[in-house]
Amino acid sequence: MFLLLVLRYYLEEVASLTMFLKVQLSWNVIIAAENLQQGSLMLQRAILIRLLGDFAAKRATKDLGYFTAVTTLDKVGEGKVRQHTGDVLFPVVFNGVTFKLFKGEILEGVVHKVLKHGVFLRCGPIEHVYLSNMKMADYRYFPGENAYFMNEKASKIAKDVTIRFVVIGTKWMEAEREFQALVSLEGDYLGPIASPDI
Amino acid sequence: MSGEEEENAAELKIGDEFLKAKCLMNCEVSLILEHKYEQLQQSSDDPMNQVSQVFEKSLQYVKRFSRYKNPDAVRQVREILARYQLAEFELCVLGNLCPETVEEAIAMVPSIKTRGRAQDDEAIEKMLNDLSLIKKFE
Repeated sequence: MFLLLVLRYYLEEVASLTMFLKVQLSWNVIIAAENLQQGSLMLQRAILIRLLGDFAAKRATKDLGYFTAVTTLDKVGEGKVRQHTGDVLFPVVFNGVTFKLFKGEILEGVVHKVLKHGVFLRCGPIEHVYLSNMKMADYRYFPGENAYFMNEKASKIAKDVTIRFVVIGTKWMEAEREFQALVSLEGDYLGPIASPDI
Repeated sequence: MSGEEEENAAELKIGDEFLKAKCLMNCEVSLILEHKYEQLQQSSDDPMNQVSQVFEKSLQYVKRFSRYKNPDAVRQVREILARYQLAEFELCVLGNLCPETVEEAIAMVPSIKTRGRAQDDEAIEKMLNDLSLIKKFE
């Protein structure tokens, strides 16, 4: 059954400087009139399903980052009927995990593309983390089918290598609903590290 | 709620509601997401179909970048770090990167030195030692 969706979303952001945030949000979930007849258990389920759907569809926002998962449903308030459609609006308070990168943060990612002027890394849900060759000073580009960067100490930056970097800038792309980040190896203890694979 | 506001629904409106945010370490997120994924596996044939791309990529990432796997160990890491009067984000960066020396810890989280708390090198070293003990006995 198709559930009509309109979301409104209030929040006050608490500034923090790390990747995964646990947030408490209050959204309005709208349930179409025809879904209200089925009894309260089905209704609660419909509300949860709609919430999960909206959460996933939202993907990311500039303020909270990428919407990763809903953890708990804290409260479903009383429904309010919308005058013209007969649908009912339920205010829902829930907890969820989001992912965001912050300037100055140090973290790790994996190289997925090597180009002449830099490499692209993947970090969490973000694909476009860019490390310019100007920000990995000692490394030289070695072209070829499996191109890579390498420095004098034979430290190699190639596809699938894990890199520890510092974030020097982030950009929210409204149309694509995604973040891009610029990172650097300028600093101690940054650069390729042995992959912490299981 | 006026009708007009509702029509602008897709837009985020920064406003009144109180938001309580906490920072999570990769290993904590890994436990959360793996648990969710298992729940999905029990109730459907193809859990990957039901999770968002963001969920999938995040799960891949935290599984790879979690230094601690065991739930008890994960809990202990937060407990130990919590004893050192760290800010939430400092705690998480340390828990994620697991620096081995005091020097490295300060390079990763410079603010632990500059905050004017009782964070001398000895305290930081003890903290790192406690963390590595958890790893050993995990």
